[in-house]
Amino acid sequence: MIGAELPDEEILGKAYDARLMVRILRYLRPYWKLLAVAFVFLLLQTGTQLLGPYITKIAIDRYVSAKDIHGLDMMALAYLGVVVCGFIVLFIQTYTTEYIGQRAMHDLRLEIFTHLQKQDLAYFDRNAVGRLMTRTINDVETLNELFSTGVVGLMGDLSIVFGIAAVMFWLNWQLALVCLTAFPVIIYLSRFYRRRAREVYRQSRMILGRLNAGLQENIAGVATVQAFGQEERMYRRFQAVNLNYRDVLLQSIRNNAMFFPAIELFSAISVGLLLWYGGFQIQGRAVEAGVLVAFLQYIQRMYLPIRDLAEKYNILQAAMASSERIFLLLDQPETIKNPAEPKRADKFTGAVEFKNVQLSYQPGDPVLKNISFKVRPGEKIALVGATGGGKTSIISALCRFYDVDSGQILVDGIDVRDWNKQELRRHLGLVLQDVFLFSGDVGTNITLGDPRITEQRMIDAAARAQITPFIDKLPNGFHEEVQERGSTLSQGQRQLLSFARALAFDPKILILDEATSSVDTQTEMLIQQALHELLKNRTALIVAHRLSTIRNADRILVIHDGEIKEDGNHDALLARGGLYARLYDLQYRFQERDGGAAESASTVG
Amino acid sequence: MGQTNREPEDRQILRYYHRVKFLVDRYRRLIVLGLLSLIATDLAGIALPWLIKGGIDRALRGAGDNSSLVTYPLLILLAASLQGFLRFCWRINIHGFSRRCEADLREVVFGHLQKLPLNYFQHNKIGDLMSRLTNDIHAVRELMGFGSLAIVDAIVTILLSLTLMIAIDPWLTLWSMMAMPFIPIVVRYFGRNIFRWSRATQDQLSEMSAYTLENFSGIRVVQAYAQEENQIAGFNRISSEYRRKTMWLATLWGIFWPLMQVHAGIAATIVLWLGGRQVLTGSMTLGEYVAFNGYLAMLTWPLMAIGYTANQYQRGTAALTRIAEVLDTPIGERYAEAKEPQPLASVRGAIELRHLTFSYGAGQAAELHDLNLHIPAGQICGIIGETGAGKSTLVNLMLRLYEPAENTIFIDGIDIRQLPLRQLEDAIGYVSQDIFLFSGSMRENILLGVEDGELARVQEAARIAHLSAAIESFGAGFDTIIGERGVRLSGGQKQRTALARALIKNPPILILDDAFSSVDVETEEEILRELKQFMAGRTTLLISHRISTLRDADMIVYLRGGRIIEQGSHAELLSRHGAYFSLYQRQSLEREVATLMHEDGQR
Repeated sequence: MIGAELPDEEILGKAYDARLMVRILRYLRPYWKLLAVAFVFLLLQTGTQLLGPYITKIAIDRYVSAKDIHGLDMMALAYLGVVVCGFIVLFIQTYTTEYIGQRAMHDLRLEIFTHLQKQDLAYFDRNAVGRLMTRTINDVETLNELFSTGVVGLMGDLSIVFGIAAVMFWLNWQLALVCLTAFPVIIYLSRFYRRRAREVYRQSRMILGRLNAGLQENIAGVATVQAFGQEERMYRRFQAVNLNYRDVLLQSIRNNAMFFPAIELFSAISVGLLLWYGGFQIQGRAVEAGVLVAFLQYIQRMYLPIRDLAEKYNILQAAMASSERIFLLLDQPETIKNPAEPKRADKFTGAVEFKNVQLSYQPGDPVLKNISFKVRPGEKIALVGATGGGKTSIISALCRFYDVDSGQILVDGIDVRDWNKQELRRHLGLVLQDVFLFSGDVGTNITLGDPRITEQRMIDAAARAQITPFIDKLPNGFHEEVQERGSTLSQGQRQLLSFARALAFDPKILILDEATSSVDTQTEMLIQQALHELLKNRTALIVAHRLSTIRNADRILVIHDGEIKEDGNHDALLARGGLYARLYDLQYRFQERDGGAAESASTVG
Repeated sequence: MGQTNREPEDRQILRYYHRVKFLVDRYRRLIVLGLLSLIATDLAGIALPWLIKGGIDRALRGAGDNSSLVTYPLLILLAASLQGFLRFCWRINIHGFSRRCEADLREVVFGHLQKLPLNYFQHNKIGDLMSRLTNDIHAVRELMGFGSLAIVDAIVTILLSLTLMIAIDPWLTLWSMMAMPFIPIVVRYFGRNIFRWSRATQDQLSEMSAYTLENFSGIRVVQAYAQEENQIAGFNRISSEYRRKTMWLATLWGIFWPLMQVHAGIAATIVLWLGGRQVLTGSMTLGEYVAFNGYLAMLTWPLMAIGYTANQYQRGTAALTRIAEVLDTPIGERYAEAKEPQPLASVRGAIELRHLTFSYGAGQAAELHDLNLHIPAGQICGIIGETGAGKSTLVNLMLRLYEPAENTIFIDGIDIRQLPLRQLEDAIGYVSQDIFLFSGSMRENILLGVEDGELARVQEAARIAHLSAAIESFGAGFDTIIGERGVRLSGGQKQRTALARALIKNPPILILDDAFSSVDVETEEEILRELKQFMAGRTTLLISHRISTLRDADMIVYLRGGRIIEQGSHAELLSRHGAYFSLYQRQSLEREVATLMHEDGQR
């Protein structure tokens, strides 16, 4: 499963793939009217490019040579008109193109993000979040270039090149032929350059990726580098990549330094040919002076797009590779699907039942084997057992983060697979050990930004979770920004915050993974109080670590190795003299010796 | 803003010039050659319109001997070839210079950054440092390379073109230049705004990345609280905002380029209008008219370059300031030569703390208060305490990752600040709480701290760290690439890799800072059992918040709030019925369950 493989960012495929292109174009369909506008303006823009030199020709041949000053004025005015029109047309064309591209990319991003929201947890276990982010953000960005620069730019360039060629032939085909004799050479040269540029481009991207990854890694791991005294070695390693990158870029500089001057040279050769052949023709009265001048201008305008064509090819190529990755992601089906016709409980009571449940994350390696138990509405169940025994898997299966292999999980008598996922989860309040904090303020972390939770409800929840005193001490109260790695909240306070979150959502069934991390006595007492509040009037499944929590539960399930080893309330299990009894015995003895400290005092409830 | 800001800006570039002076010295040849060929390119370029003029006028002069018709085209070809060659030369030299500068500067900054004290990294986010190493160096490169040389190009071209235009027709020059002075101003205005908006879009893009990253990391909570729609709405907002900002940027660009064309276009119109009259009355030849147009077109780019370079100068200076800020931060004290270095012949591993007090910064609360402790060589010392008790701080000080005061930490009786750094680093095998693995292979990661690594040693370290089975299960064994930060390993595998990495150094002192938090209790026990043999004859600091990890230590220290509150062996501490005892109780439950289950399973 693990092996040396290339990160897929480094692979560049074809520059054009019809299948992919069709699919990309689908995202433009909603904007086809605007697209038509952009296209029309693209042609108009080409028109303005062609008109300028032509007006010059008319001015010279018709009016200057006839000494018609009024006509010349008119032509100057027309020229000015073309300049102004060119400005407007080019602006509209650029703006609409960009607008369509941005719209389409926004749609695509949203589709990817939405798609990912619906993937099951196993998917996120398999795929590194960094890579998923790259798909949603960077690949879409690359694709965007395809629209704004790639496709439209390419079409614009081509239409100018062909437009100019056409006008030149129309004005004087012999002259045009002479001017364009250099063309086959240029095409050959471009292809040659393109091939080399493409290789260099691919390499530079790859090495740049490595360079940046190395930089990032060395900054993030600076403590390890220093602790192991590896500065020199890391420096040498970085130096090697850095020099490698420089050399690839120097190669690209050499390529460009040959190609671009060469194109300019050919443009000058065309001019030379024009003057030479044109000179003969003028002498033979076969061509007018204005045509010569117009041709000079046309040649100038023609070489710029030719120069850019090769670069645009690279963009096209990168975009194709990006779109391929994006579509691969979008084609990944949702594994945990909502049923076509979800069932719902008329009046939700909060009963849970596991019936012969087997669950495995990897085929053939079940983490839950034949688990069966029933929870009545309002009942509190403590799950006890060693780490890795299956407690957390029971929770995950109940939330339908994973689908069971066999058996059934019923919530209010309805199979979890028949529930609408979101609705089911709204009835379940999950509180995890590792409290995940979102960036944003304390208040948002309680409500998660859910519009249905009013401010009053949030404040109440905080109060009931005993966290208000802490929040009041923060400079901005509920509006204090939470830092992911920062020290805004301590471990214990994070716990309380997650309690407040659950209280704000007020679920019928509470699922709690009790934190093992130790907190000071003061916070411990607050947690106990908040927990008491949290459990009120709810069905509860608790992965319990505190003796007090276990003793307070209506029933205790001892889970080990994916199976339920013992099931009963505290007294029954004690009387049975099994695992739990011996366990309790040990604990109890400690507490006796301790003289009955806070722990036992708070357990009597 | 411009006027008041200019003064300090100029001084800034002088102040930081010494940071890049070495590059100018190093590549003087490239700069000189580049500049010369650039000027020569301009000279060859300026000849072209003049030759075209000659060509046209010769052609229009009508009959005569046809052989001279070929002269001008040939001259054009010659000038163009010369220009092409010279252009190649300046491109190679100047672009080569700027890219070499970039690489060298990056290397210098990287080398410096590596040795900065750790608290520097606490105050500066990775993203920010990365942007200095990429964007800022990029900006400095542009300033040093083409940016400053574009000015030379611009001045030469403008002077030459104007001279020749005036030579053709002074009045027409004056009229046609009417619109031109606006070009640098427009470029400067748009350039600045385009830069500002592209910054804004970049920031928005980062925000969008951060949002998705956070969402994917917290997907469990998102799904558990059925917040998908809500999150999608949030993403939609950010993405729309990004779209909006990008559109602004596109609008600016969309006006800017056509506006440049308008300037050139208006000038061309004036030439057509007024120049056309001159041709019409015969006071100007058609060749002159065409050449004049050619020179006019040549002016557009240099005029743009002036505005462009002004912006680049501003940006480059700001970037250079940020880079200099990194370079001006002194490197960690640990790299300084000790005042009176006292190397040890060999490290035995006795550790002593004397009145060790430490805080991370002036004005910050002390993390450690007057710690006094003596660990004889070869002993195992357990350090227990809650998060924030100062355990990791202590380790950081021992490794001089943060600098302890003089005469507070001693190894074999020598103040660690007087030990050669290399000796200190070699003496300590260290597994940190926050494991950092590098993206290479398993073998490279295990061999991090040692120069020579035969496979047998790697295997042995892996065996003790209980990693052999896991490595075998990977397709490529020790050559398995573990991905960025070891993403392809589980938490426990990461910790065990870090352990192997510490063991292979064969250090007299072993520091395990919460090294088993991600392995289950049974595996931990097995590893500890295996380690016992390894630890014999070495001093070991076993740091944990789990009592089970360190109950067998020779001595246990309970840290709370940076002070030692209890100290003694496991049995002694239990019998004291103090803080250690109550912690023990709290932790027992899970542990006992595990043990019982385990026994139960075996029965």
